[in-house]
Amino acid sequence: MRKRLFLMLVIILFAVIGVLPLLFMLFKSVTADGELNLSVFTEILATKHQWILMYHSLILSSAVALLSTFAGVLLGILFGKTDLPFRRFFTVLFVIPLLIPPYIFAISWSDLLAGLNYESFFGLMGCIMVLFSVFLPVPMLLTIFFLHTVDPRLEEAGLLAASWKEVMTGITLPLLIPAVILSFMLVFILSFGEFSVANFLRYDVYPVESFTLFAAFYDAGPAIAAALPLAGAALLFLLAGELFLRKRSYRPYLFSRYKVLTVKLGPLRRRLAFAIALFGFVIVIVPMIILLVNSGGLENYLEAFRRAGDSMFRSLGFAATTATLMTFFGFFIGYLVHTKALAIWRMADAVTIFLFALPGTVIGIGLISLWNTPWTNIVYGTPLIVIFGLLAKYTALTGKVSAVWLARIPSSMEEAAQAAGAGWFRRIVFIVIPLMWRGLAVAWIVGYIFSLRDTSVTMLVYPPGQDTLPVRIFTLMANGSPELIAALCVIMITITLLPAALLWLILKTTAAKVSLWQR
Amino acid sequence: MATITLKNITKSYGQNKVLDNVSLTVEAKERIVIFGPSGCGKTTLLRIIAGFVAPDSGTLFIEDEPVADSGVIIKTPQERNIGMVFQDLALWPHMSVKENIAFGLKAKGVSGAEREERIREMLELVDMSGYEKRKPSQLSGGEQQRVALARALVLEPKILLMDEPLSSLDAKLNIRLRKEILSLQQKLGFTLVYVTHNEDEASDIATRLIRMDFGNSI
Repeated sequence: MRKRLFLMLVIILFAVIGVLPLLFMLFKSVTADGELNLSVFTEILATKHQWILMYHSLILSSAVALLSTFAGVLLGILFGKTDLPFRRFFTVLFVIPLLIPPYIFAISWSDLLAGLNYESFFGLMGCIMVLFSVFLPVPMLLTIFFLHTVDPRLEEAGLLAASWKEVMTGITLPLLIPAVILSFMLVFILSFGEFSVANFLRYDVYPVESFTLFAAFYDAGPAIAAALPLAGAALLFLLAGELFLRKRSYRPYLFSRYKVLTVKLGPLRRRLAFAIALFGFVIVIVPMIILLVNSGGLENYLEAFRRAGDSMFRSLGFAATTATLMTFFGFFIGYLVHTKALAIWRMADAVTIFLFALPGTVIGIGLISLWNTPWTNIVYGTPLIVIFGLLAKYTALTGKVSAVWLARIPSSMEEAAQAAGAGWFRRIVFIVIPLMWRGLAVAWIVGYIFSLRDTSVTMLVYPPGQDTLPVRIFTLMANGSPELIAALCVIMITITLLPAALLWLILKTTAAKVSLWQR
Repeated sequence: MATITLKNITKSYGQNKVLDNVSLTVEAKERIVIFGPSGCGKTTLLRIIAGFVAPDSGTLFIEDEPVADSGVIIKTPQERNIGMVFQDLALWPHMSVKENIAFGLKAKGVSGAEREERIREMLELVDMSGYEKRKPSQLSGGEQQRVALARALVLEPKILLMDEPLSSLDAKLNIRLRKEILSLQQKLGFTLVYVTHNEDEASDIATRLIRMDFGNSI
């Protein structure tokens, strides 16, 4: 009873933070003077400009999703399934762009290509190139994860009659289809909602339109109308993915975890490693070298601290606070999904994923619509609104990390404590949390990184004088010197990657101490 | 001519010596059952014979030809003409019954008409005709067992390895399937190496019983 009540309270609180603003926004957009009024939608959707935006958004997202999925799945197989030299180093290297605000890569490439007088980087091609390198790790990591769900016996049964080539194409790859579909969907949705790169590279897409209408003209009605196709697209893709994956007969296998059978690459391995190193150098290292070179000497870094030091410390504070709250919500939502303790578990799961798929600008507009009243200034006028926005947007990630980790703990662990007379809170505090502290650490760092790199939510909702570093860099781009911007970007990369590297070290050094069931 | 010969096979995982100087000869068409407690190395022995694992030292011969020797796999699993039924059956969940059985035939380049004929015969043999289009998840435990057998036997292996194949079935079905395995072995004449920790099952199936006790055959 206590368990159900507590979980229900967590869900209600999360719904107030994430869902209520959207419902309020929707309500406001379809009413005028207390009556139903759809004029905002009919007017905005009747213009040709809106259809051009939709076309641009679809072209950009489809291209990025196709390219990233193809290359990411290939890299995932090479890093997760073969004896390729330096595969762990390569995995870490290719993940870096995902951890950094995407527009930093756009700045870096435009700096280099502008020096070469290459103008066509601005527009669709530039957006595809930058977003491809940023979202490439999504299918790569998903493939590596899903390779662990393939029972090696299934491959061994094939190896009795066929070569690795036939086993890979006939058995392993078909079993990875969920990873491919999930990757495509996720990258599509993430690209569809990304606005900072398209804004910087001057390519008109829906999130830019929605942001401009709201931030520049403070025109809430049309901004909401422009945001709704984004919400609709997110919902559509989620439903399609859910329907497709539900039909697959091997869905029950997704929560298994096996040791991966390694494919030996033979004489190809060195040549492949060289080609991948070259690819990684171009899409990850080169942009960072450009920023380092452009940032010049120490004086630019001192100037960067003078101009944006307050934003940097605020960013760190917001990210740490939000990550902690996000880990709390994520753990209990993950627990609810894993144990199905309430009938609404599926809805709770779907809502967090929907909010993650929703562009940050839409969440931002929703939050402002709800909280911008004289009575609720305690939220609207303080960092609470930033925290609410980040919680709504990214709790799905910490929830999924928690659910996956919880699935690895045998149910007998909690049952044994229950049989010994421990109540629910005691079981959570003394059994479940200690067994999955590594999972919680991963969830926290994921929450920290995504909160720190965010611009889509914070750009709209930050209270006066309370901006974050990514937002400050974005605004300084209009009048700051290229050296200052480059130095700020280097600082941003450092404060993002340092905690991630620290956590990786902690997890690596404690790996030997994990208990038998985790191995 | 011995079908399988193991000479001084040793295998360790880290500090744990799973097989310690094991030697064994299995004659053609023999039914040997390797019997012993969980964790004594039965499955490792089977995996070495199948070719998934190389012994640390010692030599494995199949039909007097060396196929693995001191850490080196000389012949890969697909080159050994061995069938295997896994403990969890390892039926490919994304393939139908027919596709599961056809996979090995396709890999061996068996032509369409002949393939169809062999699948039909095999399904008849295991009493599963009419189930061709079903997915493994749509079959009962006993039916899955029969499909796993059909998949292993369709390539007409000289040796069939079975790793506790009936352990997840209820007692009644277990006894019925034992009889079916015996009847298939007599009909097709393959050499059977069968691993179990169930004493009844072992004595029912074996023409020779090998008792293993933590790394050593007795």
